[in-house]
Amino acid sequence: MRELLTKFSINHPLMVIGLVVLVTAFFAYQLTDIRIDTDPENMLPEDEPVRLFNDAVKEDFGISDFIAVGVVIEEGAFTQIQLDRIFNITEEIAEIEGVIADDIMAPSMVDDIRQGGGNTMVVEPLMGEAPKSDEEAQYILGRIKDNPILRGKLASDDGKALALFIPIESKDQSHRIAGEITAITEKYGGDETYHIAGLPVAEDSFGKEMFGQMIFSAPMAGLIIFILMYVFFRNFRIIIPPMIVAVTSIIWTMGALVMTGNAVHIMSSMIPIFLFPIAVLNSIHIISEFHDRFGRYKHKEATIRHTIGELFLPMLFTTATTVVGFLSLVTNNIPPVQVFGIFVAFGVAAAWLLSITLNPAFAMLLPDKALRNFGVKSEDDSHSLLATVLQSIRKFTSRRYRAILLTAASVVIVGAVGLSMMTVNDNPVKWFKADHPMRIADQELNKHLAGTYMNYLVIDGGEADAIKNPELLAYIDKLQRHLEKNEIVGATAGITDIVKKVRFELYGGVDRTKYSLPTDQDEVGQNLFVYEMSGGDPDDLFKLVTDDYSMANVWVQMTAGDNQAVSGVVADAEEYMINNPSPVAFEHHWAGLPYVNVVWQDKMVSGMRLSLLISFGIVFLMMVALFRSPIFGLISMLPLTITIVAIYGAIGYIGKPYDMPVAILSSLTLGLSIDFAIHFIQRAKTIHKRTGNFRETLTGIFEGPGRAISRNVLVIAIGFVPMFFSNLVPYITVGTFFFAIMTVSGAVTLLLLPAISIVLRRKLFPTTVGRKDKSQIKEGALQS
Amino acid sequence: MKKIIITLAIFILASVAGYSVINAQTDAAEIMQKSHMAYFYAADDGVADVTMKIINKKGKERIREFTMLRIDLVEGGEQKYYTYFKKPSDVSRLTFMVWKNPNASDNRWIYVPAVDLVKQISADDKNSSFVGSDFTYEDVSGRHWSEDSHRLISESETLDGKETYLVSSTPVEKYKGFAEKKTWIDKTSFLPLKEEYYNDKGKLVRVFTSDKIETIDGIETVTQRTMENVKKKQHTTIYFNEISYNTGLTDDIFTERYLKTPPRKYIK
Repeated sequence: MRELLTKFSINHPLMVIGLVVLVTAFFAYQLTDIRIDTDPENMLPEDEPVRLFNDAVKEDFGISDFIAVGVVIEEGAFTQIQLDRIFNITEEIAEIEGVIADDIMAPSMVDDIRQGGGNTMVVEPLMGEAPKSDEEAQYILGRIKDNPILRGKLASDDGKALALFIPIESKDQSHRIAGEITAITEKYGGDETYHIAGLPVAEDSFGKEMFGQMIFSAPMAGLIIFILMYVFFRNFRIIIPPMIVAVTSIIWTMGALVMTGNAVHIMSSMIPIFLFPIAVLNSIHIISEFHDRFGRYKHKEATIRHTIGELFLPMLFTTATTVVGFLSLVTNNIPPVQVFGIFVAFGVAAAWLLSITLNPAFAMLLPDKALRNFGVKSEDDSHSLLATVLQSIRKFTSRRYRAILLTAASVVIVGAVGLSMMTVNDNPVKWFKADHPMRIADQELNKHLAGTYMNYLVIDGGEADAIKNPELLAYIDKLQRHLEKNEIVGATAGITDIVKKVRFELYGGVDRTKYSLPTDQDEVGQNLFVYEMSGGDPDDLFKLVTDDYSMANVWVQMTAGDNQAVSGVVADAEEYMINNPSPVAFEHHWAGLPYVNVVWQDKMVSGMRLSLLISFGIVFLMMVALFRSPIFGLISMLPLTITIVAIYGAIGYIGKPYDMPVAILSSLTLGLSIDFAIHFIQRAKTIHKRTGNFRETLTGIFEGPGRAISRNVLVIAIGFVPMFFSNLVPYITVGTFFFAIMTVSGAVTLLLLPAISIVLRRKLFPTTVGRKDKSQIKEGALQS
Repeated sequence: MKKIIITLAIFILASVAGYSVINAQTDAAEIMQKSHMAYFYAADDGVADVTMKIINKKGKERIREFTMLRIDLVEGGEQKYYTYFKKPSDVSRLTFMVWKNPNASDNRWIYVPAVDLVKQISADDKNSSFVGSDFTYEDVSGRHWSEDSHRLISESETLDGKETYLVSSTPVEKYKGFAEKKTWIDKTSFLPLKEEYYNDKGKLVRVFTSDKIETIDGIETVTQRTMENVKKKQHTTIYFNEISYNTGLTDDIFTERYLKTPPRKYIK
C-alpha cells in the first residue's frame, strides 16, 4: 500500500495527472452552484429553541431587525438645518427597497402623545414636518426627553446625538441597505458624519467583507509561500507541483462542499486559507528531502522512491492527526462549525493523497537536465545558512538541555496562569478592527444614545388580558426600572410606559403624580383603548404587547453587545426576578440578536472544549500506536501541549477574549503542532535504526529532517504575515495563529525534543552498535 | 384625397375620445358623490348596534361591540357620531363622539369611565386606525369625494352578478392613506361593493368589501363589511346587527353631557 500509490505515479505520471485533472474538473463544475450565507444566526440549527423563539417573538410582536443611523454633533444636533436634513433623509430612506417604512423610528415617523389646545390630547408624529426655526427644533428635543418611549433612543438628553432606527425585511439585505442609506446621507447631509450601526449590518457587512478578504488573502498567502519556496529550492519546476496540490485540494474541497448542498458560510469561507498552508506542508517535506538526497543518488526515480518511502509514515500520521483535529469539530453542535471541520478534514486528506501522487508524477515528467543543478549545492555545502543555524541549534540543545527543560517547564506554568485569565467573550461588531467605520459608529452611537443592541424580554401571562393586571404591570415596571440601573442598559420600553404616558396626558399633562400606573384593571384597559382611539398606531402598541394582552414584550436596549455584557444583563434580570418574586405568576423568555449570539457562542465554547479534549486523547493514542511506545507517545505530545498552552496563555495575558475565531483555531493548533514532533521522532527512530548511535542520530536529525521542519516553519509563518494587516480581526487572528503555531511548535520540536532525548537517551535511543561508541555518548562528547 | 380622409378621421376620433374623457371624469365624480351619499348619509339619522371583529393573521379575533348614533346636519356635509362601547368588558360604558367637518379637522371627544373624565382628542389624521381595527376613521365617516379626482374605468363590470361602475380615484393632494383607490359601485343602489387601495408603489395594501346588503326601512344598507389589510394579513369585519333610520335623534344628544350619561332611549 505504502509503495503502491507512489509506484503507480512514477510509472504512469500522465495517467495520474490526467485523472486528477478529470476529478478537479468535476469538482470545479460543482462550484457553479455556489450559495453564500453570511448570517451568523445560522450558527445555530434552524430548529434551535432560541432561534424558533426569537422568530416567534419577531412574528408575535411584529418586530424586525433594524439598522441604527445616527449623527453626533458637538454643537448640538437639534437645529433647524440639521432636522431639515434628517427629515429629508428619513423620507428617502423610507423609499429604499427592503426597508419597512411604516415601522421606521425617526422624529418624523414616531407618534408622540402631548397636550393640544383646549383640553385636547394629541397623538401625532413627533415631527410632522421639518421645523422652521431652531426653537422648533429644540422643542422637538424637549418632546423626546419628555417621552420615556423615545427618550435616549431618538436623541441624547444633551441633544448632541440623534438616531434613526430603520427596520429591515431581512438581515441579509442590511449591507446593501446601509450602502443606500450612506448615499442618501451624503446627498442631504452637510459636514456631519452619519454613523451606521447595529448587529444586522455589522454581521452582514462582515460576511461581505470576509469574502472580499478571502479573494485577496488566500492568493496572497499562496504567492508568498511560492516565493519562499523558490528561495529555498531555486527551481520553479519543482515548486509548482505543491502549488497545484494546494489549489487542487481547495477546488476538490469547495466543490464537495457545494455539491453536498452546503452554503458557503462565514466559517467555510475560511477553508481555502486553512487548506493552502496545510496542503503545502507535506510537499515541502517531500521536496526538502528530495532536494537533500538528489545530490547523493543522482537518480530521479530512486530518490523519489526513497523520499516517499522514508516520509510515508510521518506524512500519513501528520495528516491523520490534522484530520482528527478538524473532525473533532463534529462533536460541536454548531452546523457551520461541523461543516467546516468535515471539509477541512476532507481537504487535508485530499492534499495528502495529491502530494504523494502529483509530486512524484510531475517530477517524473521533468527532463533530467531541469534537475541538473537541483540539490547538488546544499548537499555538498554544509555551510549553508540554514544548515549552519541548525548545527548551532543542535549544539545549543546539547549544551543547554537543562536550561531548555527549565524554560519549557516555566512556559507551561506561566502559560497555565495565562489560560486561567482567559475570558470568554465575543461581539460580531468587534470582528472589525477598531478604526473600521463600523466600530466607530458602534462606539459613537452607544456612547451618546441608549444603544444599538436590542434584547427582548417576553413576559407571558398565560391568558388573555393577563398583562392588564395592575399587579403584573407594576412588577414589570419595577423590573424595567431595575434593569435601567444596569450600566449597559441604555433604556427599556414596555407597555407600562405607554399606559403611564397616556394616563399622565389624559389627566392634563401637568400632574406628575399621574405619571404612574393605575391600580384598577379597567383603567389600564381604558388607557390603552384611549391610545388606540386617539390615533396611536396599533402596530406600535403591539410591538410591546400581544393584541390579546396575554404577553408583554420589554425592549431592553443596550449600549454593548459583548456576550459578557449581554449575559450580565440577562443574569441581572433573572436574579431580580428570583429575589423579588412577582405577586402574579408568569413565564419569561429572552429573544433578540445579542441574546441569540450569546446562546450560540456559549454552545460553541463548551463544544470546543469537548472537541479539543477528544481530539487530544485520540491524537495521543495515535502517537502511542505510531511509535509503539507510550513514552514516545507522551514526548510527541509535548510540542503540541506547550504550543497550545503558550498561545492560549498569551491570549489570556493580552486580554484578548476567547471568541469564535480563537475557539475554532484550537483544532488547527492541535492538528498542526503535533506534525513536527511526528517527523522529528519518526525520522530520529529511522536514523537511529541505521546508526544505532545516539550522537549520530542527533546529528542526522538536524540535517534532512531539521531542514524540512525549518523550511516549513519559515514558509508557512511568513506566508501568513500579510494577514496581520487585514481589516478584519478574525483574519488577523488566523494569520497570527498560523505564525505562532509554526514558530512555537517548530521551536519546541527542535529545542525541547533533543533536550529530552539527551536526558532519556538510554531509554529512548539505546546504543546498539560497538562498545567504543558508547564512550562517546557522554555528555561532554555531545557538546562537541 | 386619401390623406384628407385619414386626417379627418383621426381628428374626429380624437375629438370623440377627448369628449368622452371629459365626460367620463364628470360622470365618475357624480357617481362617487352619489355613492358617498348612499353609503354615509342614508336617511337623516341612524342608530345601529355594531359588532366588530378584528381577526389577526393567526386567526385570533378581538371583538368590539358598540352602539352608534349618527345625525346628518347637512346632507353631504356636517355629521355627528356618538359611540357607546359595550365590549371589550374593560371599556364598557366608554363613549366617544365625533363632529365631522368635511372641510376641516373633525372634533373628537372621549369619555373614560374609570377616571370619569372627558377628554378631547386630536383628529388631524383621518387616516389613523379606528379603535385599533383595519378601518380608519375616514373609512367609517367618509372621505369627501372632492378630495380625489375620479376616472371611470368601466361601466360594464360585473361583480358577484351585479352591474357596477368601476372608478379609479387619486388624491388631489399627496396623501398618506393611498395613492389610488379603485371602487366598484353598484349601478342601482350606488353602494360601494368593493374598494381596492394602492400605495404609491402601485401595491395593493387594503381591500374593502360589502359582504351583505339588506333593505332596512326601505334603504339599501351594507350590514356587513370587511376591510382586509393585505400586508398585515389581518382583517376586520363590522356587523350591523340592528339598524333603524330616521329615529328622530336630536342634536343635543351629541354633546359632552351625554358622553357621561348615555341617552338610555337609544342605548340598551
